[in-house]
Amino acid sequence: MDGWESFIGLARLILLAMVPYTLASQGTMLAGRAGVFNVAQEGIMLLGASVGFLAALRGGSLWVGMLAAAIAGGLLGLALAYFTSTLKMDQFVIGLALFFVGLGASSLAFKLLVGVTLVLPQIPTLPDLKVPLLGDLPVIGPILFNQNALVYLSALVSLGLYYYLYRTSWGLELRAVGENPKSADSLGINVTAQQYAATIMGSMLIGIAGAYLPMVYTGTFTQGIVQGRGWLSIALTFFGGWRPGLIFAGALFFALVEVGSLRVQIMGGVVPHQVLRMLPYLTTILVMIFAFRWVRVPAFLGQTYDREKRSLS
Amino acid sequence: MAERDRLVMRGIRKSFGPVAALDGVELRVRPGEIHGLLGGNGAGKTTLMNILFGLYRADAGEILVGGRPAHVRSPREAMALGIGMVHQQFLQVPTFTVVENIVLGTRLRNRPGLDLAGPLRKIEALAERFGLPFDPRARLGDLPMGVRQRVEIAKALYRGVELLILDEPTTMLTPQQVDALFASLKVMVQAGLSVIFITHKLREVLAVSDRITVLRSGRSVATAPRAEATEHSLVRAMVGEAVDVDRSLLFARGEHEAALAQSGQPVRLALEDLSAADPEGRPALEGWSMTVRQGEIVGIAGVAGNGQHALAEAVMAIRPRQGRVRLDGADLSALATQQLLARGLAYVPENRWEDGCLARASLAHNLILGAHRRPPFSAGRFLQWHVIHTLARALIAEFNIQARGPEAQAGDLSGGNLQRVMLARALSQEAKVLILHNPTQGLDIASIEFVYQQLLRHKRTGGATLLISENIDELFLLCNRIAVIYRGRMAGTLKRGQFDAYAAGRLMSGMPGQDAEAAA
Repeated sequence: MDGWESFIGLARLILLAMVPYTLASQGTMLAGRAGVFNVAQEGIMLLGASVGFLAALRGGSLWVGMLAAAIAGGLLGLALAYFTSTLKMDQFVIGLALFFVGLGASSLAFKLLVGVTLVLPQIPTLPDLKVPLLGDLPVIGPILFNQNALVYLSALVSLGLYYYLYRTSWGLELRAVGENPKSADSLGINVTAQQYAATIMGSMLIGIAGAYLPMVYTGTFTQGIVQGRGWLSIALTFFGGWRPGLIFAGALFFALVEVGSLRVQIMGGVVPHQVLRMLPYLTTILVMIFAFRWVRVPAFLGQTYDREKRSLS
Repeated sequence: MAERDRLVMRGIRKSFGPVAALDGVELRVRPGEIHGLLGGNGAGKTTLMNILFGLYRADAGEILVGGRPAHVRSPREAMALGIGMVHQQFLQVPTFTVVENIVLGTRLRNRPGLDLAGPLRKIEALAERFGLPFDPRARLGDLPMGVRQRVEIAKALYRGVELLILDEPTTMLTPQQVDALFASLKVMVQAGLSVIFITHKLREVLAVSDRITVLRSGRSVATAPRAEATEHSLVRAMVGEAVDVDRSLLFARGEHEAALAQSGQPVRLALEDLSAADPEGRPALEGWSMTVRQGEIVGIAGVAGNGQHALAEAVMAIRPRQGRVRLDGADLSALATQQLLARGLAYVPENRWEDGCLARASLAHNLILGAHRRPPFSAGRFLQWHVIHTLARALIAEFNIQARGPEAQAGDLSGGNLQRVMLARALSQEAKVLILHNPTQGLDIASIEFVYQQLLRHKRTGGATLLISENIDELFLLCNRIAVIYRGRMAGTLKRGQFDAYAAGRLMSGMPGQDAEAAA
């Protein structure tokens, strides 16, 4: 019985850990499918974590915090879309600049509203929601159906994005923009609008992914809270082949590595904890070596589209 | 008169930076006609059509569609006005199926759902009616270019166009496919559509158009009914005074010195059992063997993408290959590209912008590229810029390159001028063998003429030429022999005197070569 207990505990932790990966990667994927390669995840998540925490602290509700984090993420997404889609600037340069904006703004907002203090203010963590009937099933119940709302949300977002991309004409248009914007443009699809919408929506998801961290793990904001999850979500997006279903599965794997390395760390032993901290990144590199052989990225990913530019090729 | 016109474009102007691409163009198209829009590269044909289609915005001028002023700001508005365009480079999504490509951007009735059964039936009916066979469920990227073009036309028809613009539609087609395309166009105009047929090929425009408008340097110089146009009058209108039409090679009637047999000369270039793969590792060229004698021009015909690129790069050792390459009997198979260049092989690649030049480097720099490690351009480790600039100035004058000087950036040149640079580079380095891939693609008539004259000069001095071209007329005009490439293999050869477009067309589409022999 004890074995079951610890298995259930571990499985629950993995599902908890997969939420930020899922949301951040689906957000990255969404923008990427419109040809915008967002690399500001780490910054957007930090800002989401900070703003989400502060809004929850002041507003008194975690949902206010989520909403504020989504808006903050959406604003960075808007900036990314404006600079790359309207002003046709380089996506990587702007993305990295926005990472630093997020990094700075998150600390600044915290300092302005909380100040320097020894005792960090706390917000309550997200409560678990038990699904009626299903939540009472043995083993599966506590693992799958007695989790916080965002675990359910991240699964629904993945499913919803799958339907949107592959089962609606809107999704067809979005994918066309990322594959061949000139073709989409010539067929009357508003490339700029698609890129704005996908980038902003995607960044909102990334912002929520950031807010999740203080609301589930720490109850407060610290500068190191994101711990590279934003960078990892880029790798995860490639790993998942820019497809919502595979990204969801990939997030499970990334969460497994994260929880596993923590578990080994806690148990102690010969492996120095610095090495364990490296594990997710090393795994990523290994995974990328194999994943890159078969992933198909959107053909126009990372490039800017300018209708009146006379292309040479 | 005006109310009879489906489309009127008047006084259209458009500049790209300091360059005026269009300078007061007028075009009138009637319902139910195929209207040929003829002009050399840079004449502004595509720019004019991009304005009509809402991809570019005109600086000045007015457009009337169906007698009403139209402000076309985007392709969506153009399509709402019943205007469809088949671009020279197909605007398609290779990863989508044919149906998905066709319905993309249309307001599906069951939006946002994606039920394609209804569209599928409509597309099949259209394809049947206009004689455009294709499999609507196939993945587009798997289809050959000829079929992809049919899809592109079906895409416009599906949207209910009244005016269909075709930008250089025959470039990728075999002669048989061109005939099929023209037959489809005739069905369309009988159904009341108007077709604007953009081309620089006189024969095609005369074969299919009802009326013809000629553009030259951004101005419309003439509109004439088919009956009043002759090849000669159209050429005059197209090139103005730039080419002496009566003495031109390009419009030569009958045989000329290019045809002189060169048998008995020693073999200059020999390729033996050459094989190479494409970047994905699939075989692109298999067991290719041929010889080119001194003073001989040997053509490689084929539909684009059948291994021409692999052949050129395999000879030049740009990509890994098996087999042997011999020059004047010496085995050069083990040499790298740099050494091949030094031995007298010169290559003018198809994509002059990406493979042929350093777009951001100066003309002088580009003109010595490949020879830059050898004297007199390099003394030990250092480039001798004064020598290089002297040579560059001489070449700019000799090859009539329109540029500010040796310091001008290669990327700023027009296609024709850049091709002159490519030829100047190849020929100034005393090439024994010239390998050219589509050397006249996208060039205006004066530049094409220039390229041909340079090839004949090279031929007269005993140089061997391997001319890879998708333009069958060009090969017929210049070559002693033609080998046809199909899926990386030699499908057959044609000798001068046996040249026949339909025989070549059969070989180019992979049909057995018996007919070609029989036709001879």
